[in-house]
Amino acid sequence: MKENKTPTLTPDELDVLQEIMNIAFGRATADLADLIDIFINLSVPHVALIGRSELSTYLTEEVIDRKGGISLVEQRFWGRFLGSALLVFPANAGKELITLLAAGPETQSFESDPIGELEKGVLMEVANILIGACVGKIAELLGDVVTYSPPTVIVNQDDDKSFSGHGNGSDEGSVIVLRTIFRFERRDVSGYLFLLTGDTTVTWLKKALQGFMEQFS
Amino acid sequence: MNETAIIDKILIVDDSPVARKILKSCIPADKGYELHEADDGTAGLQRFKEVHPSVTFLDITMAHMDGMECLEEIKMLDQDAVVVMCTADIQPKSAQKAENLGAFTMIKKPPSKNVVREVLERVERHLTRAE
Repeated sequence: MKENKTPTLTPDELDVLQEIMNIAFGRATADLADLIDIFINLSVPHVALIGRSELSTYLTEEVIDRKGGISLVEQRFWGRFLGSALLVFPANAGKELITLLAAGPETQSFESDPIGELEKGVLMEVANILIGACVGKIAELLGDVVTYSPPTVIVNQDDDKSFSGHGNGSDEGSVIVLRTIFRFERRDVSGYLFLLTGDTTVTWLKKALQGFMEQFS
Repeated sequence: MNETAIIDKILIVDDSPVARKILKSCIPADKGYELHEADDGTAGLQRFKEVHPSVTFLDITMAHMDGMECLEEIKMLDQDAVVVMCTADIQPKSAQKAENLGAFTMIKKPPSKNVVREVLERVERHLTRAE
């Protein structure tokens, strides 16, 4: 009988992935700082391997203190490194960020239009930079190249509903979650970046992580 | 240990065991350096007091006492301490802050053997002039 064993990562492999995420998100924030005059406080990234059926609950519990609702940008990426990136901000983040990226008379319209097009555009632009640079750097470090879907902005006042549907169908198997929390200095905005990748990536990822560390042995 | 060596002890402070392993692999093995490690800023400061390293490689983003705070404490203990920031946080303002706090230089992760060798040669020249 064929053994149906879900591939998994060892604690050492998760440590390597965490350091790669650290390097990649550092590059992403530097890219954003090049574009706008802002400093981003970084935190130590966290990597977890969880069951796909637990994903929605995990994400909801991770994004604590978001009673005012959240804005979420999702972007998928394809390569041997395959998955989804979720950039999560508090609901008012778009208005805060817009003053950095697109200060001008248009900002007035957001007082009466909380899900305005410009606000969405700013969130998408920030997501494009952070996700693109972070995922791109991870792929580069692991010898891969990825392509991206256009980012999708989801504004939802209810955290529980925001994270449903990010398990991609089946409740079977596992998901690798890479999470980092960041805070824009002098702005009341902090956010989360989650990278979600599933079983199909794990087998490649194990070899790629080994290859990455062999450079340093 | 080479008797003429200017650098004898090197301290690596990083909360990631992988980052410490990578950096150790980039330090020339033929120089006979004595390597010491710590896994966060608090432990790093303690190790610095115990070891008195010639050069300290220090990460910035760490949970217990970040690298900037650790750098500040080290420079208060020894204003001539040579501290090299080795970090993923490559924002210009982080580099500026580290420089203002007295860091010798900053290198980005992952480091390469060439960059680490070059930095250590610069540290040797700096320490030679200071003698």
